[in-house]
Amino acid sequence: MMELLPQALTDGILLGGIYITIAIAFSLTYGVMHVIDFAVGEWIMFGAFTGYYLNKWTGLDPFLFLPVIFVLYFGVGYVIQPVIHRVLSGTKGNPFLMGLVFTFGLAIMFRGLALTAFGFYSNSIPSAFSEGSFNLEPLGLTVTIPTVRLVGLAYALAITLILHYLLKKTNFGLGVRALAQHKDAAGLMGVNSKRTGSYVYGIYVGISAMTGVLLGCILSIGAQMGNEYTIFAFFVVVLAGMGYLAGVPWAALLLGLVQSIFMIYFNPSHTLLAVFAILYIILLISPRGLFGKGV
Amino acid sequence: MKNRGATILAIIGAALLILPLVVHDTFVLRVLTEGVMWIGLAIAFDVIAGYTGYLNFGHGAFFGIGAYTIGILMMQANLPFWAALPAGGVAAAIVALIAGIPTLRLKGAYFAIATWALSRAIQQLALNVEFTGGPDGMRLEAFLNPQFFYYLMLITVGGTFAILWYLLERAPFGLKLKAIREDEEGAKALGLNPTKLKMQSFILSALPTGILGGIYAYWITFIDPSSTLGDLVSDQAVVMVVFGGMGTLFGPALGAILIFAFKTIFWAYLSDFQLLYLIILGALIAISVIFIPNGLWGTMVKRKAGAARPQQNAEPVSEPAALSAVAAPEEGN
Repeated sequence: MMELLPQALTDGILLGGIYITIAIAFSLTYGVMHVIDFAVGEWIMFGAFTGYYLNKWTGLDPFLFLPVIFVLYFGVGYVIQPVIHRVLSGTKGNPFLMGLVFTFGLAIMFRGLALTAFGFYSNSIPSAFSEGSFNLEPLGLTVTIPTVRLVGLAYALAITLILHYLLKKTNFGLGVRALAQHKDAAGLMGVNSKRTGSYVYGIYVGISAMTGVLLGCILSIGAQMGNEYTIFAFFVVVLAGMGYLAGVPWAALLLGLVQSIFMIYFNPSHTLLAVFAILYIILLISPRGLFGKGV
Repeated sequence: MKNRGATILAIIGAALLILPLVVHDTFVLRVLTEGVMWIGLAIAFDVIAGYTGYLNFGHGAFFGIGAYTIGILMMQANLPFWAALPAGGVAAAIVALIAGIPTLRLKGAYFAIATWALSRAIQQLALNVEFTGGPDGMRLEAFLNPQFFYYLMLITVGGTFAILWYLLERAPFGLKLKAIREDEEGAKALGLNPTKLKMQSFILSALPTGILGGIYAYWITFIDPSSTLGDLVSDQAVVMVVFGGMGTLFGPALGAILIFAFKTIFWAYLSDFQLLYLIILGALIAISVIFIPNGLWGTMVKRKAGAARPQQNAEPVSEPAALSAVAAPEEGN
């Protein structure tokens, strides 16, 4: 059994790398809009299916579509965000509760739409990278690295770097950070919270959809995959500490490790239980995340 | 006006009581029984969601826990129904207690996520362990007496309604919960213990739900993870309460009646399009949030109040809610 461990760790790190992208975008949206988007898994699922069908119709490699899918879903997010903004800035009832309920409703609707359109089957997206793999032999142990996972990790790192640049080096990023810190004060300093929110939500939806294609190439796609990824996104964000971006990569890697260890050593269908158990213990011991820096 | 409301309630109650004597159609009685059950589930959900302001997106988990507890106790421990029934409620309350300890100290978003994840995890647990029968579900010994279940459901839901009405609308407990919903820090400053109160309200919400799940299991005689622990139960509870009106008892009851009637008609005539039902549920939640954030009942009551006092705008009432929502991200824990 022990000879499988290096393989499990490698798989976990490669998979966790991909979760970083979703989790950062998700965390960013929470920071700016102060709403948890229950539809995160559904955006991933929609992206995956868009990639699947584009690949089927054109026969081109799904990796070529990534920019197209990003632009497409950026548009979708940009259009939907004002509605969420309206709900959140409403004066009737409790806007925060309403925002949560609203995205919860969206998630149910999207799941229904996907089940209607795509059925209950599960598929995977074929890519030029899906077959290839190569072996590494560190310290006499053989570890197989599937090319598709390595490419996925490279993509995730690229996205993370771009987001980091956007946030730290541009005026737009300054506005986003200001909004996350104090919405009203940022507004007084001339940050357009409405438009910035739309951009951030668009970026988040675009990244989630793109990542969905990668996950479709590596694992599988199905209309019900959204549920699982929504829980994963929450897991990462809660572990990192809500709104604490710097903790996200570590939490994402941990999730990847948990998942791959359960796939190899235990029953894969118990992954969700393990994820929940860890979530519960973290909330019990350190509710503000592993680093104690969440809000 | 209060007397008129009481009269209407008494008439509805009396009509529901004598109905089985008039109607002998088993199908109608069955639909009524389930309708009454949904009223109970919706008002129980509203205790934590509407009154306390903590959304439990996994309400169905308590229903399923109740159902499975009864099933296991009756079929594997050979307990009689009446001995097993309270255990269903107690089991749901214990799970609420365990789940509430870490999550209720935190902000609402954590709670919403955690309860939702909990319900998914419990469903997976039921699918994977031996004693629940896994995906095949569990068959209970049949007790075929539609009138018995109708009255049992009616008394349980009626009793729940009366107790909740007293606790939430007449006793100080309801006001304390509303204070937490509007401004948790302020409530703390007034000397309330929010964590304890939230816990009480969560248990108060779980207990009747577990009992209703137990009655449902004995009534339907067959339970499986997708029918009792699936997300449809939670989703419907959310839609009923949001559509009907959060933070009231009559709103969720109204929502439950309307949504359940719609569901019954939909599944009777369009049973091939069950996925469409899911889309409509989701859309209905989103649309209610945008257009009637106070729900049907809240909008009706407000309109009536507005017509009586045309000069006074009802807007300032919701001011604290808006303020606390703006201030929420800066609050430390």
